[in-house]
Amino acid sequence: MNVITGHDRARTAQSVPLNRAIDKARRIIIGFLVLAALAFVGRASANTTAPTIRLFPTTVIDDLRQTSSVAKEMETGLQEVIGRLDQQQQLYAESKCEGAENDPGCQRLSRQLGATYLEMLGIMEQRLPDMEHTVNNTRLSLEKRLRSELGNKMTPWTLQETLLGGNPQQTASVAGPSMRGKSGMRLSERFRQYYQLVASSSSQSDQSLAVLASDIYLDMDETSTLIARTREEIARATLIEQLNQSFGTITPEMMEVVDGVKSILFGDDASNVQVAGPPPGSIEQAYRSPLEN
Amino acid sequence: MNSIRGRVSPSILIALLASNFLLASCASTPPCSGSTSKNLETAIDDVKHTLTSGCEAHFDRYYDELLRVAEGDPKPENKRIFSDFLMWSSDEGLLSQRQAKDYYNRYFNVKFMSMAGDYNNCSHTCPRRDRVMIDMERELSDKERGLLRVSLDNEGYYRADELYQEIELVLEATCTACAAGN
Repeated sequence: MNVITGHDRARTAQSVPLNRAIDKARRIIIGFLVLAALAFVGRASANTTAPTIRLFPTTVIDDLRQTSSVAKEMETGLQEVIGRLDQQQQLYAESKCEGAENDPGCQRLSRQLGATYLEMLGIMEQRLPDMEHTVNNTRLSLEKRLRSELGNKMTPWTLQETLLGGNPQQTASVAGPSMRGKSGMRLSERFRQYYQLVASSSSQSDQSLAVLASDIYLDMDETSTLIARTREEIARATLIEQLNQSFGTITPEMMEVVDGVKSILFGDDASNVQVAGPPPGSIEQAYRSPLEN
Repeated sequence: MNSIRGRVSPSILIALLASNFLLASCASTPPCSGSTSKNLETAIDDVKHTLTSGCEAHFDRYYDELLRVAEGDPKPENKRIFSDFLMWSSDEGLLSQRQAKDYYNRYFNVKFMSMAGDYNNCSHTCPRRDRVMIDMERELSDKERGLLRVSLDNEGYYRADELYQEIELVLEATCTACAAGN
């Protein structure tokens, strides 16, 4: 077998439209992010108590629980395949197959790797319709609740009072969740914080629930679109890999996808984003004017 | 006409014009300059005097000047001083009770006066959400001045800032849900 050089590797990489591959991989990874995130939602929902404003009735909690269960099944199914992919990839590298694609032994290894990769895509393809269905159900339930409870039953002023709770001077760290939608934070991390928030508080107040419901709803809305796109991409990735099987090559795209899925399922230190808290304020209770609303 | 003009001497005409000018200047408004004091209590006394001397139209400017003076000596008691001043303004009839509340709450309360209204959010707030958020952003800047720089109420200001972000998120979700239901 030949020893692969950096130059050879670069040439191999150039032969594939790398940008498109990365883009595709990113989309599939986002699909997985959704799954990882939803696993936390179900656990979080199990701890919620009935709020005064009915944002999380039993139907919504059931939807969340079901989504969590579907996500967990998919994770479990993928874990074994990804473990196998890892081993095959290691074997391929140790056998110095990169740059020696014509070697019969390497071709066999490459086909095995490709087959496992197709298996991974197959599991995703099989599970995603269920995910899409449950995510849509949750999104629609929350949508109905938000429209009714916050949209139609509240004025801007009462919404503001709900968010502030009974005590406007309450400390910021206690008042509500420290995360916001669209913060750029990894979805799974955000949902982990949702979980911690709900689990750590025995009596969730309306203000936290309103923010929580809004955040979950917006995420679900985005997630729904992403799952649909991911499904389309999986179909395309499957077709390409089936073609690759004929030539027995490992594409950078495959490696990207597998690495992405691994980082989501088994942890990724780089994306462990911390949410900055507000600077400590004065604890001294301020003067309250008779003019204050 | 010609006979009258011919009889009035130029010196009498000049004297009449001068007396008219003097009378006119007596009747005009005072200069309405604000206080030059750096002490808030003194500045408020000066402003009260000016306001009751026919300069009430300049209330906004005086209020801004008083805030600037208070920024020079920030302390929690400033909230009460401003509240008392606004209540005095209301009692004197310079401001309505509602105006006084607006002036106070815009600067010294956590809640947003820009987020007021008697109709539901789907019909009232959502159609003008962008406008509401711009107004709230401006109000947050005034709260930074009143709560943080005048009253040293860090906690209050950070809660207002947090409330602003929460409203932004909740309105985005609620208005998306309202739009989906139409």
